[in-house]
Amino acid sequence: MRIELNGILPDLLTPKAVEKSQIWGKRIVFEPQSVLLVSAQSGMGKSTLLHFIYGLRKDFRGVLSINEKSTTERDFHEWECLRRESLSLVFQDLRLFPHLTAGQNLELIPQKNPAAPSAEEMSDRLGVRSCLDQTVSTLSHGQRQRIAIIRALRKPFQWLLLDEPFSHLDDENQETACRLIQETAQANDAGILLSSLGETPSLPFEHRFSL
Amino acid sequence: MSSANKTSLLSSCLLVKGPKRELSIASLGCLLGTVLLLLSFQFYQDAVSYLSDNQGPMDYFTINKKVEGGALANLGKREDSFSPEEMEAIKKLDGVKRVGGFVRNQFPVTVYIWPTGTVGLGSAAKADLFFESIPDEFLDFVPEEWTWEENSSLVPIMVPKFYLDLWNFGLAPSRIEYPPLSVEAATGMPIEVFIGKSREATLDGRFVAFSKRINSVLVPEAFLAWANRKFGQPDAGDFFFLWKNGVIEGPPHSRDELGEFLEDPDFGSWEVSPLENPAQRAPAISVLEKRKESLRPSRIILEISEKPSQSLLRHIDENGYEMNREFPEQDKIRQVTRALLLGMTGVGGLLSLLSIATFATSFRLMIAQMAQHASNLILLGFSRHEVSRVFLSRFNKLFLLILLASVGLGYGVKQFLVAEASRFNVVVEGGFSAQSMLALLIYAIGFLVINKRVIDKSIRELSQ
Repeated sequence: MRIELNGILPDLLTPKAVEKSQIWGKRIVFEPQSVLLVSAQSGMGKSTLLHFIYGLRKDFRGVLSINEKSTTERDFHEWECLRRESLSLVFQDLRLFPHLTAGQNLELIPQKNPAAPSAEEMSDRLGVRSCLDQTVSTLSHGQRQRIAIIRALRKPFQWLLLDEPFSHLDDENQETACRLIQETAQANDAGILLSSLGETPSLPFEHRFSL
Repeated sequence: MSSANKTSLLSSCLLVKGPKRELSIASLGCLLGTVLLLLSFQFYQDAVSYLSDNQGPMDYFTINKKVEGGALANLGKREDSFSPEEMEAIKKLDGVKRVGGFVRNQFPVTVYIWPTGTVGLGSAAKADLFFESIPDEFLDFVPEEWTWEENSSLVPIMVPKFYLDLWNFGLAPSRIEYPPLSVEAATGMPIEVFIGKSREATLDGRFVAFSKRINSVLVPEAFLAWANRKFGQPDAGDFFFLWKNGVIEGPPHSRDELGEFLEDPDFGSWEVSPLENPAQRAPAISVLEKRKESLRPSRIILEISEKPSQSLLRHIDENGYEMNREFPEQDKIRQVTRALLLGMTGVGGLLSLLSIATFATSFRLMIAQMAQHASNLILLGFSRHEVSRVFLSRFNKLFLLILLASVGLGYGVKQFLVAEASRFNVVVEGGFSAQSMLALLIYAIGFLVINKRVIDKSIRELSQ
């Protein structure tokens, strides 16, 4: 799945931020199956970019195309299908359901990714297997982050979008998570777009953009 | 994950206690509104079928010749009965379906009614009465006991229903010895019927039915014909000398006694003459022909198709007849019934509308409380349809419960009213008709569709 950004300018961005950016206002193509990093300081629009691609926000000028079709031309039903089958996003604020158990959160997806390992295996690998029966509200932020990553991997995707996914993970956990993400993305023939505050997680990035 | 599992997980994710007070008010309003609408729809059908089964007196009129003056005027009175020709003329008028004559008693009648149920026990209501008969086809219904043969011991009597009301609401409250009577009790009362000035005969009578159509005290035609023949009071003009072979035979005979000689083979040769003019002889058979005239009706009943036609009114006017409508006040009952049903429909409809509005508000509130979770589910890729179905199925369950309760409550009310109505001799079928159930189904679908749209709209607003 090809994502093309053509002169995208968020409505709320200052002209100075646009000047320095390698993405805003430029023409950039995210080729299928590429592994990309977008890094910037806070407030430069990392989440905004991911939200534009995920169809959460539409407050920008320019043309954003997914598979040669502009996102503004897609109706709600098409977005529903994209999010169900082709895009998976780890939100910065995770958006887990705090009143359900971690296991229930992992089950609560519209469609399962056949190429992903089982929930048990993934949670085992990320060290959160024992948390599956706990409600999310009782988990630490790091545990929640890992649950959110597993949930995103359990959905089918052609692009995996990750919004500062390791902010509360130690290096070892980060390493394990990166391996799992890379394996699953490869099994799906999918691309990865990761945003970070500056550090570079251990993924084989083909491009690094700074916002 | 199975779809049932997914649905239950979705449902527990969006689990929220709705605004309890609003939901109970909406449920109560919906329950009462639905019951009222259901009942008014059912009552309307019951009323229509009851009125057509017991075709009201609307189409029945009686006609008599005008009674003029007081007692003295009767000295020179003209013929006050209807001849077959006159009846035939009326029958031919526009809109007249049937014509029947009332036959009157020609003898004094006194009745003793024993409200205690036993002759001689307590006090009897005593009244000088009259009897009339009409052809059975004009009765609202022909009771089983409505037969009389010469040796029958019991005379069936039918009186207007309002006589019973007069008794119950007029007489009974003012006289301790007269108890109020239900229809069953009234039909069980023994009645002594004394016939003749000096009570030559005593018969047992019984009210067998209460007519809503005929404003008279009715007995079977066969009984009245027999009694008139047997006890009819001939006036002086009705006695004749009987001449056999040119000689007066015995004392004067009444017209009826002469009738009994009809079988005699020599009857054809006999002659009669009036008492005051013995010389004026005529064949005996001519007297019997005249007898028929004395049995002519003085009052006739008409069934007409709708309102009296112009030609009928003109004919009545030209011939100096008088026309009475039988129980015209029942029209008012019809109007009152219609107004009541309209009122019920109005209140029921209003309650239902308000409950729809309250339900809509409650569910919008529920969705608003769950807005964050619902929109997260949609962002995960769940369709709006899947999310709104969770709320809709909750509403459907509640609504189904209310609907079942409405049918139950409505059924109870209906059965209670049917039982009450039967005490007033109004027989209405219990339960609900297929049409009512169909109307309820349409109403339910409408209710569901409206609320589904409200819920869908709220979810759509969330995800935009």
